[in-house]
Amino acid sequence: MTAAAMETAEPRPPVRWHRISAVVRRHVLAQSRNPGHWFLLLVLPVVDALLFSSIGVAFGETDRAVEILVVGILLFHVIWQLTLAGSLGFLEEVWSRNVLNLWTTPLTESEYGLALLITGFVRALISMALVGLVAAGLYSVDPTGAGWVLAVGAATLMVFGWAVALLVVGLVLQFGETAEVFSWGTLVLLMPLSGIFYPPEALPGVLQPVAQVIPLTRIFEATRQSLVDGSIRWADLGLGAAGSLVCVALGMWFVRRQLRRFREQGWITRFS
Amino acid sequence: MHGEQPGASVVAATGVRKRFGDVQAVDGIDLAVAPGERVGIVGPNGAGKTTLLLMLLGAIDPDEGRVELMGRHLPDGRSAAMEDVGFAAGYLPLPDRLKVHEALRFFADLHDRPDPAGVVEQVIDELDIGHLRDKSCMSLSSGQATLVGIAKAVMHQPRLVVLDEPTASLDPDIALRVRDALARLNDEHRTALLLTSHDMREVEALTERVVFLRDGRVLADGVPAEVVADAGHTTLEEMFLAEAIRMRGARL
Repeated sequence: MTAAAMETAEPRPPVRWHRISAVVRRHVLAQSRNPGHWFLLLVLPVVDALLFSSIGVAFGETDRAVEILVVGILLFHVIWQLTLAGSLGFLEEVWSRNVLNLWTTPLTESEYGLALLITGFVRALISMALVGLVAAGLYSVDPTGAGWVLAVGAATLMVFGWAVALLVVGLVLQFGETAEVFSWGTLVLLMPLSGIFYPPEALPGVLQPVAQVIPLTRIFEATRQSLVDGSIRWADLGLGAAGSLVCVALGMWFVRRQLRRFREQGWITRFS
Repeated sequence: MHGEQPGASVVAATGVRKRFGDVQAVDGIDLAVAPGERVGIVGPNGAGKTTLLLMLLGAIDPDEGRVELMGRHLPDGRSAAMEDVGFAAGYLPLPDRLKVHEALRFFADLHDRPDPAGVVEQVIDELDIGHLRDKSCMSLSSGQATLVGIAKAVMHQPRLVVLDEPTASLDPDIALRVRDALARLNDEHRTALLLTSHDMREVEALTERVVFLRDGRVLADGVPAEVVADAGHTTLEEMFLAEAIRMRGARL
């Protein structure tokens, strides 16, 4: 560090819980008054659970097929809710033209991110519970059949979902609300490529290498295998977790870089 | 430079420059605002007011120079500095889907003050906006939204209030009430005011010092009456209009 930099160095601001809880409360209030959020949080998981369970019943030769489809969609909703909480949470500030209002308070970027992460975590739990209740109540399928692999998978997918949210937030910082498409578009692209309901070998040959490098694929593979024969594929779980951690680290780097460019390029004027 | 020693200033900008593409938006401005000082930044559109203001708030990094807010170097010291800063802009709405008291409570919670609920009720009372308390922020008229925005900016009794076009959409009687509230805040708490406005009468009424910008530089800095007299005009509004016409001519 140069002498000039040391002279101007400011201590890292402490993380304040009251600011994090204020942002969480603001988003809970705002989302609870937005029918679109109710639909994404409560209706979509139920619809997906009905849809995929029924497909399993109609075309699956055993109960295992229903179980695999239910667990697949349950886990995908973990990523879906984390990503939506992060990306739509920030877009909510953009649509409200609230970015400059937030910038001119003591709220730090880390506190804001933590608040969105907490919101996403709660959304993911609600969503998982709904899928599980529909599967158990209407189809007599126990989605916890994969045992603790399911819990490890869900935790890893939360990390990956947060990485996608960070990517979208970084893009919104640069492109404003036109980057909204990435909030759901990224997930739509990931859904067929990450082997949620089928092994990567079921994809066309040209897409299989793509599926193999997506960390999600490993998690879904390990969970499926655990459902089929109760075995634990440590290597897949490890690769999935490591890949998700790399993705979230890249996401954090990307957002930091975008925040620096946000200040350098004066992008704030697009939000005010 | 005007005011107290730079170390004691609530805002201290030194040699700040900012260029966007071919446009030199701010071109080497020094500005210090002392505690309790009331300063207006004026100039026609394109003079560099908003860019300067956003640099003073840490939302834009200068290409050159440095900015200190509340003695904290920006951008790293932004969070700590903002504990003592309030900001409102006539063009900025409050968060959608929140009621007025919820929005104010949200911003009160972001500052490290005891009894945020009491802070909200106090400012609602002081600005006489009790009738707006349970209204949705989305349903407010632009004047009402501006008033609530000013409540947000002043409720935590900051040492500096930054206002961008604060009363642009207010009826004259409400604008007067806002000016009175700001003057009271300044008197009672020695809160510094830094504002931009296109309403030169408002600037003259609210400030004791005016910084007139031209092409990103300080054209004049001082007591409004002296700035006007030195430029050979009779009022600040006349000076502003002359400068706006000059700028338009230069562009053509």
